[in-house]
Amino acid sequence: MAMAAFRREGRRLLLSPVSYNSSVAARSAILSDELGPMGARSVSTQAVRNRMKSVKNIQKITKAMKMVAASKLRAVQVRTENSRGFWQPFTALLGDNPSVDVKKNVIVTITSDKGLCGGINSTSVRVSKALYKLTSGPEKETKYVILGEKGKVQLVRDSKNSIEMNITELQKNPLNYTQVSVLADDILKNVEYDALRIIHNKFQSVVSFLPTVSTILSPETVEKESEAGGKLGSLDSYEIEGGDTKAEVLQNLAEFQFSCVLFNAALENACSEMGARMSAMDSSSRNAGEMLDRLTLTYNRTRQASITTELIEIISGASALTG
Amino acid sequence: MASTAAAVPFWRAAGMTYISYSNICASLVRGCLKEPYRSEAAAREKVHFAVSKWANGKPEKSSNGLCLSF
Repeated sequence: MAMAAFRREGRRLLLSPVSYNSSVAARSAILSDELGPMGARSVSTQAVRNRMKSVKNIQKITKAMKMVAASKLRAVQVRTENSRGFWQPFTALLGDNPSVDVKKNVIVTITSDKGLCGGINSTSVRVSKALYKLTSGPEKETKYVILGEKGKVQLVRDSKNSIEMNITELQKNPLNYTQVSVLADDILKNVEYDALRIIHNKFQSVVSFLPTVSTILSPETVEKESEAGGKLGSLDSYEIEGGDTKAEVLQNLAEFQFSCVLFNAALENACSEMGARMSAMDSSSRNAGEMLDRLTLTYNRTRQASITTELIEIISGASALTG
Repeated sequence: MASTAAAVPFWRAAGMTYISYSNICASLVRGCLKEPYRSEAAAREKVHFAVSKWANGKPEKSSNGLCLSF
């Protein structure tokens, strides 16, 4: 009928309300598909509806990821706090010497394999690069050993000649001491070092992670530093049982210390990764919710505008017929 | 003074590090366990990671997934 023809004509002539500002204009640029006879745009509600559906799905996914990360965090957190007792006796015995000046430094950077975990990997890489600059100089050599895919991707961009080894797929099975100790053994066999610096994110709470550096000295360096006095200097006052020499004991201690510290560092980093992923997914869900609210408003506005325009056409058509 | 020859324990002379020595001892202890604890302990022994050594800014082709069990 004539009424239907008018309605179809009217829909094509629908102008998007002129009072919108530029951000909405950008959105309606995405939403509109066809141009009417005088270059007028018709905003289709179908496109807005599709976008709303996809944003809602994304929100569901990020909420689920947050739950998964929370449950994984609970499991790893207990083990992490228990593993802190591994390295504390070493620090009590040997002290902590982060500012030791040696020729061969190896920086072990611990990062995650998977993404969507916020900024923790970037902070670790930034600290590694700063440490690299600090420890490099004439006659000095610094190398990287990278655990995790994300660190490799970032460090390969500008320091690929200093990378010694790269280890991935560490978290395929839950982290255990045997795995980390085999890894530590592998690293010790393949790199020469005077000092090993392990960079990881220490887990303080679900929202705060502290980038930390743990330093482990080789036995020869310990000998050298013990001349300077301090904790290492008083090592000679210990009596050694069992017929081992001091050098032998120091060698065993250095290897075991590296293994323990690496285990704790890997656990702490895994904890931090879960916590960071939780907060990242949480803020992502919140953003998706806000986006959904804005889209709902746009949808309702365009729906009401099209209804109003239809009414106007009908009424003006009716009045044209009667008047 | 102690004799210079006997300063090194047998496992160090055989080329093992302290870490591999303690891992072997640990797996021997785990092998002495009885059934429910034995399978729980076996889960703690799984080792899997993929290592790739780099030379001159390029990873070498030999990246084998190390799957060892002691």
